[in-house]
Amino acid sequence: MSYYFTILSSTDVPLFNIAFGTSKGGGDGIARFRFPDTAQYMNQFIIHSSLDIVEEAQWMNGNLYLKHIDTYPPASAYISAFLAPSGARFLLLHQPPQLPSTSSTGSGSSSILGASFSASALGGGSSSRASSSSIGANPTSPQTEEAVRQFMNEVYENYVKTVMSPFYRQGMEIKSPVFRSRVTAAGRKWL
Amino acid sequence: MTSPGDAAPVRPPPSFSPGVPRVASKTRYPDQRRDSSPNLDSDLVDSRIATSPPQPPLSATAAELPIRSASPHARSIRSSTPQLTRSSLGSPTEGRLDGSEDIRSLIIRSFSPVVGVYSSVDTDELVRQKGFAGGFWELIRPFGETVPGKIVVRDSVGASRGWEDYGVRFVDLGGNPQVSSEPRAPPLTQLEEALERQLESPDDPLGGILRPKDFLSFPTTSPLYKSFLRQLLSVSSPTPHETFRHPVASVIAISSRNTSPLETLRRLYADTSNGDRKLPEWVHPEYLRYYVLVHDEDRDDIAESTKLYDQMKRHFGLHCHLLRLRSNQCVVTDDDSCQVPEAEWLSPTERLSGRSEPLVDLDTDGQPYLFESDVTAIKAFVRELVAQSVIPYMENRVTVWNDQVASRRRGISGRFMSMSRRWAGFGSGSRSSLIGSGGGTSGNYDLAHGFYKPDVPEAILRKMADFAFMLRDWKLSASTYELLRSDYANDKAWKYHAGVHEMCAVSMLLNPLSMPGKSKINDIDQMIETACYSYLTRCSDAPNALRCLSLSMELLKSRGGSGIESAARWAMRAMDLSLVGSIGQALLSERISACYASRNAINGVRFGSRHRKAGMWSVLAADRWLRLGKPSLASASLEEAERLYADVLDSNGAFPIPEMQAFVDNLRHAVKVEYLESRGLDTGDEAATADPLDVFEPEETSEKLDKRKNRKSLIANPMDSGGLSSTQGARDDDNPANDDFERA
Repeated sequence: MSYYFTILSSTDVPLFNIAFGTSKGGGDGIARFRFPDTAQYMNQFIIHSSLDIVEEAQWMNGNLYLKHIDTYPPASAYISAFLAPSGARFLLLHQPPQLPSTSSTGSGSSSILGASFSASALGGGSSSRASSSSIGANPTSPQTEEAVRQFMNEVYENYVKTVMSPFYRQGMEIKSPVFRSRVTAAGRKWL
Repeated sequence: MTSPGDAAPVRPPPSFSPGVPRVASKTRYPDQRRDSSPNLDSDLVDSRIATSPPQPPLSATAAELPIRSASPHARSIRSSTPQLTRSSLGSPTEGRLDGSEDIRSLIIRSFSPVVGVYSSVDTDELVRQKGFAGGFWELIRPFGETVPGKIVVRDSVGASRGWEDYGVRFVDLGGNPQVSSEPRAPPLTQLEEALERQLESPDDPLGGILRPKDFLSFPTTSPLYKSFLRQLLSVSSPTPHETFRHPVASVIAISSRNTSPLETLRRLYADTSNGDRKLPEWVHPEYLRYYVLVHDEDRDDIAESTKLYDQMKRHFGLHCHLLRLRSNQCVVTDDDSCQVPEAEWLSPTERLSGRSEPLVDLDTDGQPYLFESDVTAIKAFVRELVAQSVIPYMENRVTVWNDQVASRRRGISGRFMSMSRRWAGFGSGSRSSLIGSGGGTSGNYDLAHGFYKPDVPEAILRKMADFAFMLRDWKLSASTYELLRSDYANDKAWKYHAGVHEMCAVSMLLNPLSMPGKSKINDIDQMIETACYSYLTRCSDAPNALRCLSLSMELLKSRGGSGIESAARWAMRAMDLSLVGSIGQALLSERISACYASRNAINGVRFGSRHRKAGMWSVLAADRWLRLGKPSLASASLEEAERLYADVLDSNGAFPIPEMQAFVDNLRHAVKVEYLESRGLDTGDEAATADPLDVFEPEETSEKLDKRKNRKSLIANPMDSGGLSSTQGARDDDNPANDDFERA
């Protein structure tokens, strides 16, 4: 799985971007999207286009976490969304790898444990890491939803802390390296 | 070229605020929306005809795409389109539906009854004298496609409904039967080739394809896409699994020159029923025969012919017609000459084979001419044939089969019968146990040859449903198709299975009475999925799979609401399965964009529209056109994208996300460069040599830019010579402000 995470302000200005790959099942945490490197704008196009759905879903749903809201079938990109009360939108694009063997080399051994995902609620030990590797297989499974929810919540906590900083004004791009490293850590932990 | 001084007076709209320093690509949409308020209606229509539409003085249009110079024009059309359609349709809400109704009618008309034509040698000779090499069939073919006047059809419950756009398709039964057996390229490749040829033809991209798009691109679809759809729907040749291409009737024609008319008629009949012109054995052998006597007005005596005609009526019953034609060839200069309309439903094969020159000189000798009296006679003949013979015959067959076959299956005992047959596997013979998998087969399906005999209930029901479909009684056809679905699945007749699922979904979507509930849409999606899978995986029949997906996409789109999402998904599926070539990909991208664009925001709130998605697909379409080397189409798509994005982007029209902005800017630039290059090489006018050089200069002076603009506006808008000068005038003023307008 490759992930592209972005935080958009309420006026659709990107506040924060990060691309990363899965760390589960032996993944090295490097994003490998299906688009060639010259076409990375596609991620943004897809995320931007899913804002239509976000705008609709946010009124149909009382939760901050909107779950998987949109799919872009040609590249099998899945979008999950999370709303911050300030109007900021957290959007996560996840894309299963094209060839199952490219990124997950150790998936064969861990697939037996794939069913017992409940361990992941305990927090990121090495056991949960192995067990949640099944999320790569099916981006719309309940396991994936749960993992993304955990990720979003953790990012949201850190986002609130960062935004509370006296040097941050609303609508500014988030440049804090601490925040970035926290998001990376959350990604490594949950996704 | 024109200077700002001699520009035609521009009438600014009242809502226009000159002082606001705005950048063009953003401001014009708010402007446009204001402009489209009804009280400006007449202004806009005026300006479209006489002058160029108003333009904000500070707008930096000159730095935009070349095609944009046509856009002020197009823009005003667009903004006034709802009003135009309103006046024509009489209802303001139906403005948006215009395009989809168009496509819907196209789809309905593509499933028209097929009438075979078989004429005697002397008739073909007579017609050949008139300049139709293909004989009698070629003469009447274009007239069958739209039957003049209303055709009233009675459905299964006895309700009548008139159709203005009814038609039949004449096919040649006398033609060489072995033509189809020679090796050909697969139909989808031919389709792509035909489209390419259409695009390549020298005057079409600007004249035939772009112009109407510029005028009416908002609600209607591009003519190229329509042509794609039309050809896709005319691809299919007669197959066992559906009976749309099987003849419903056949016209048997002799002429007054014949020396032994009745014997000839008998012989022709015998040829088609059991002679060498016999249709394949999966075609139902009983269809209507219609006898025509072609009378030669110029050479033969009408009294003789009338006598013969009376004799024919005595022998063959009521299905006869006396067609009076002149045998002399008509030329343009004749007083009452009248051009033969072009046949609308040409398959890609026909389009590819030797029909390239009519595209070039369409109005000189592309289509032959006929005397007006002949045209009237043929029209009357076709109308009588359809209204008095074909339609009543089909209605009659549907009623009879409905009573004899379908009702037996529909009733409680019928259900029980089919169920018991299904479960009692041993009863139906040893074959079912050979096939295994539990379900008993009816034994009617000929596994070795892959078809049902035309007289078994499964085949008759299918034929009845197809007849009902062609008579536009979609309720009956949908329920009949539904009845058949499980039968075909039990018999493992996969092609029949796919076809029946496809047509069931299509007739459910066409039925105006069934409501597009969410669950209904899910059912339909399921059926499309099954049909597509059966066609593609089990039968590897790509043309039919593509037909199924395109039909579903178009009809779901016209349903609106939640159907739109499905529609777009099916279009993406068609692209994913690579059923279409590169031109088809671009066309489908445009179509997906149109799907999303047709979804509007819920009244009163701002969300619910899909403009971002629509915009994205337009940009992708532009990218695809550019890669195909069609910069003019690319810039039309880009412009459409800009219109769609105008709603969602902030006031200065820039994308908030920098990479997207960069991509769109690059695309814009590339389109411009390509366009200028192609124009520079094509036209060879005064700047042709300089052009390819200075487009590559990193800095373009406003003068050069300006010059090209003007030329471009000449090119893209050959129609509006009136608006031209003032457009340029407005643009001349703009140039200094235009440098890096998007990045401002």
